[in-house]
Amino acid sequence: MFVWPVGVSLLASFSRDGGWTLANYGAVWRLYSGDVLYTVGVAAAGSLLTFAAAIPLCGWLRARAFGPVEFLLKVPLFVPFVVVGHALRVVWSPYLPGFAPSWPGIAVALAWKHLGLAALLMLGAFRGVDESFLEAARQLGSGTVRVTRDILVPMAAPALAVSAVLIFSSMLASFSIPLMLGRGSGGQMLMIDVYYRFGQHGDFETASALGVVSYLLAMGAALVYVRRLTR
Amino acid sequence: MSGGSPGSHTPGGRTLAGLTLRLLGLGLTACVIVGPLLSLCVWSLAERWTYPAAWPQRLGFRYWSRMLTADFLDPLKTGLGIAVLVTALALLCAVPLGYALARLTFPGRTLVLLAFLLPQAFPQLPVFAAATREFYRWGLAGTVAGVVLVHLVGGLVFAVWTMTAVFRAIDPALDEAAHNLGASATRAFLTVSLPLAVPGIVASALLVFLYSLDEFTGTLLVGAPFVTTLPVYMYTASQGYELQIASVTALVLMVPGAVLLLLLERVLRAEYLTFFGQL
Repeated sequence: MFVWPVGVSLLASFSRDGGWTLANYGAVWRLYSGDVLYTVGVAAAGSLLTFAAAIPLCGWLRARAFGPVEFLLKVPLFVPFVVVGHALRVVWSPYLPGFAPSWPGIAVALAWKHLGLAALLMLGAFRGVDESFLEAARQLGSGTVRVTRDILVPMAAPALAVSAVLIFSSMLASFSIPLMLGRGSGGQMLMIDVYYRFGQHGDFETASALGVVSYLLAMGAALVYVRRLTR
Repeated sequence: MSGGSPGSHTPGGRTLAGLTLRLLGLGLTACVIVGPLLSLCVWSLAERWTYPAAWPQRLGFRYWSRMLTADFLDPLKTGLGIAVLVTALALLCAVPLGYALARLTFPGRTLVLLAFLLPQAFPQLPVFAAATREFYRWGLAGTVAGVVLVHLVGGLVFAVWTMTAVFRAIDPALDEAAHNLGASATRAFLTVSLPLAVPGIVASALLVFLYSLDEFTGTLLVGAPFVTTLPVYMYTASQGYELQIASVTALVLMVPGAVLLLLLERVLRAEYLTFFGQL
């Protein structure tokens, strides 16, 4: 059910007017190479932002569990993507018009949505670190910041890497959030390009080629992770 | 506790510095998480709000009263109908499949599990675009049946993974006991495992229902232009710069998620949440 449309788009990306060709990839290169870089950049910025917020928060929560904050961090998990996009469009609009569709605006919105997942995974990983290590560090006089930086993060690194890859690929493939944020000047997220190419230009072949590029990017992220693990 | 600055490692944070830090952390998190959602509330009540003003010029319930018109109620009904159908179909497949994946070892078991992981790891939009293209050929594009099929792909992922986790948590020895007492495999499943799995089935059903109700990308592509659910209605409204209508819809769309969050928090076990992490 899922593999089959993937196959359809794979085949379509190499065909045009009944023949086999690479022309669709040429069009992707000509028209969208800037947007590919833009998308990778936004996803990287969004992931960094998510982790920059989640690491200190989870380090702090690992030191002292605090129910209300943990509950708040779960909230974004249960807010639909479209609602996140809209909320992070209207929250800026009276004060900073034009911020929402810009690249920092998209990165912030994506980070907001993924903070829930990142915190859930990270807190789980941090709580998996044996208490005796933390106790030893505290005996030696380390505060929460140092415990987080020197013990929790390095010891939970494999789990953090998994969630980083997961979040990065999800941001690469994000569609509803950038769509709801609106069209800005400058770059466009890749999925928006796919949508307009397919929906407005009716150009399924080029849209599929773009889609295949996005599959490769998602797999590339996963591969980087696997290589890191095996090294 | 010994050493270090006061309050920094008191478990309860009972010192003044610890308390201040906790309140600060709570306040900051609350601002970041609740801020955008609060802004939705303000926008839904703003009858007039033009740019340099920091607060709406006129507040009122005019846009909320529009909820009672067919514009809003029709997408709501369509979405609910689709969600019920998707939930029923997904669970019908996922309960036996989850049981099989949790209990039986058969060739290709890992492959089946992986196949159900794929939709999570892959960019969805190009896949939905291809599905839409195929649906056009069969006359399924723009129909409720087409949208249900698309939702089933994602819904099955949730359902199969939760049901597998649920059946794994039930001790197989119970089934064996029933077996030793002469019950057939089917009977053991129906009278022992299935009743024990009911809370898990309910949780799984809620997740699938919520997923279907909130699903946007697939509905937008496959359902267009005839099937409109609330997320699609919200998108159309926001594109027409009817930010208030979109905000009202957004708030309504958050209700089932909020209910589920509270339910998971209070009634159901945290294990069902962790499957997010397994993906």
